[in-house]
Amino acid sequence: MIPNASDILVRTEHLTKIYPDGHVNALRDVSLEIRRGEYVAIMGPSGSGKSTLLSMLGALDRPTSGEVYFEGEPLSRMSNLDRFRSEKIGFVFQSFYLLPTLSALENVQIPMFEGKLPPKERVERAKELLAAVNMSHRADHLPTKLSVGERQRVAIARSLANDPVLLFGDEPTGNLDTKTADTILALFERLHQKSGVTLVIVTHSDEVAAHAGRTIHIRDGQVAEDIYAEQVSKSA
Amino acid sequence: MWFSTFLLKNLLRRKTRTLLTSCGVAVAVGTTVALLGLSDSFERSTLSDLAQRGIDIIVVEKGVLDQLSSDLRESAAEKIRELPGVVEAEPSLVELVGYTDPNTGNTINVLLQGWRPGSFQFEEFEIVEGRSLQPGETKAILLGSTLAENVKKHAGDKFVLNEEELEVVGVFRSFSTFESGGAVMPLAALQEMSFREGSVTGVPVILEHGPDAPSVEEVVAAINQLKDEEGRSYNLHARPSQEYAQESLHLKMAHAMAWMTSFIAVFVGSIGMLNTMIMSVVERIREISILRAIGWRKSRVVSMILGESLILSMLGGVLGAIGAVILVRLLTQMPTVAGFMTGEIAPVVIAKGFILAFVVGVLGGVFPAYRAAQLMPSEGLRSE
Repeated sequence: MIPNASDILVRTEHLTKIYPDGHVNALRDVSLEIRRGEYVAIMGPSGSGKSTLLSMLGALDRPTSGEVYFEGEPLSRMSNLDRFRSEKIGFVFQSFYLLPTLSALENVQIPMFEGKLPPKERVERAKELLAAVNMSHRADHLPTKLSVGERQRVAIARSLANDPVLLFGDEPTGNLDTKTADTILALFERLHQKSGVTLVIVTHSDEVAAHAGRTIHIRDGQVAEDIYAEQVSKSA
Repeated sequence: MWFSTFLLKNLLRRKTRTLLTSCGVAVAVGTTVALLGLSDSFERSTLSDLAQRGIDIIVVEKGVLDQLSSDLRESAAEKIRELPGVVEAEPSLVELVGYTDPNTGNTINVLLQGWRPGSFQFEEFEIVEGRSLQPGETKAILLGSTLAENVKKHAGDKFVLNEEELEVVGVFRSFSTFESGGAVMPLAALQEMSFREGSVTGVPVILEHGPDAPSVEEVVAAINQLKDEEGRSYNLHARPSQEYAQESLHLKMAHAMAWMTSFIAVFVGSIGMLNTMIMSVVERIREISILRAIGWRKSRVVSMILGESLILSMLGGVLGAIGAVILVRLLTQMPTVAGFMTGEIAPVVIAKGFILAFVVGVLGGVFPAYRAAQLMPSEGLRSE
């Protein structure tokens, strides 16, 4: 299926990234498109360049050459990438990165400092988000008092704080046991279906990738395979 | 949650470090406020004393900065009194004399003034015990109330100074902190006791005020030109009293010492703050890059680090100001200090302490804040 131009949320053209330390060619001439509302898994062995690709797509780093377009606009021409990330992008990390001295409710409010909500409304919004990830009952707990699965749910709530259109997960189930990982994946799926947010998950795991509608395999900094779930089911 | 709440919670992560850093700033601010407070109190006391007695001009020896090191001929006072516009000109001798308490063996400095009995300088005294000095007395001394309390002497007691036994004829209370902490003797007696017959250290002058009266500048110029009958210069240096007080060597030294200490305090405080904030940033590299990844602008990261630095320094400012107020109160109650200055620190001095704390906070926080803002948002992901 050829996607309609207006459906394309992110597009990369000949994306290349060379890290100056050690001249590592992390990405080589990667061109791909991600449609609005897609659930994409990026897979590949360690050092294949999948996290680098995520950094480029999420405007965390600039490519050595090539371009990333978001909603048709090249990121290299955006004057304020912080604002772009704050308004459009959400991140969920493998190690959660919740601030240890803040309660779950307070952690969720951290990205909202960049928004325009007054403190009271920030609290209300954070409560809603915690409710969405079934964490209302643990809102006042510090991260150290939460289980790893609960921490990741709080981190997911935090990633949704500014209502992003694109949510990145960098090995979001990497530190979780199978049962908890399933719960988190179910939560991602529910959010994806309910809000229509575009999901891009970097993972090693076939089980995680199985939840996605599309899997991009990266090897040696290049797209080795780009498979849609319907292709897999047809070939099966 | 307010942003300030977030900053406070960050600081409370390392309670001991926060407290120790604030204590470091508190020592810097406290020392500065205490020293500036003492020198300011000294200056205010001097100025208010001169103003309250209505003294317009102080005359000392040319080339010296204060009365203690001045040496004038007593006859100069008569010449000054003859000048147009001068109402009073009293020869005065000031000596700083050590008094040793016979019971404890402790020695304190006594500011001893030699005045002519009946001079206008006694007018502001309230005699609380005994009587004032009388003309012709030689072995008499009038103690200021603070001094009398410190040395536990009353009217009728004996008081030994420079191996000379004097009779305490009375105890006075003065509006002047210096005077209440010192003593007054008849001028002639003090001149004899200090082997300075015919010599005085200064002449306070009161002028006539009115539309036809000569200006202070005119009288000052006339005094500086005065010569004796033989045409020799009296070598006088007359200055308006406010100018004299501000140019006093002791005041200048006190101010200079206070400011020197302040600069050292700012330097040491800033280094301490810099060290703390750099450590804080290094410990949170991952966390700060995650904050950048989730959309925090560089300016917000700068606000966070500078905000934490300023909270620490202001906490130090509060602790330092409280400490300084207590320290100055205690110091001014000590017998060796009581009588030279009041124990109150002017609000403007405390404000200077907070400005210093602010400067320490900014100097200590700017570089770490800049470093933190330079962290790439991808730092957290790459090191995952």
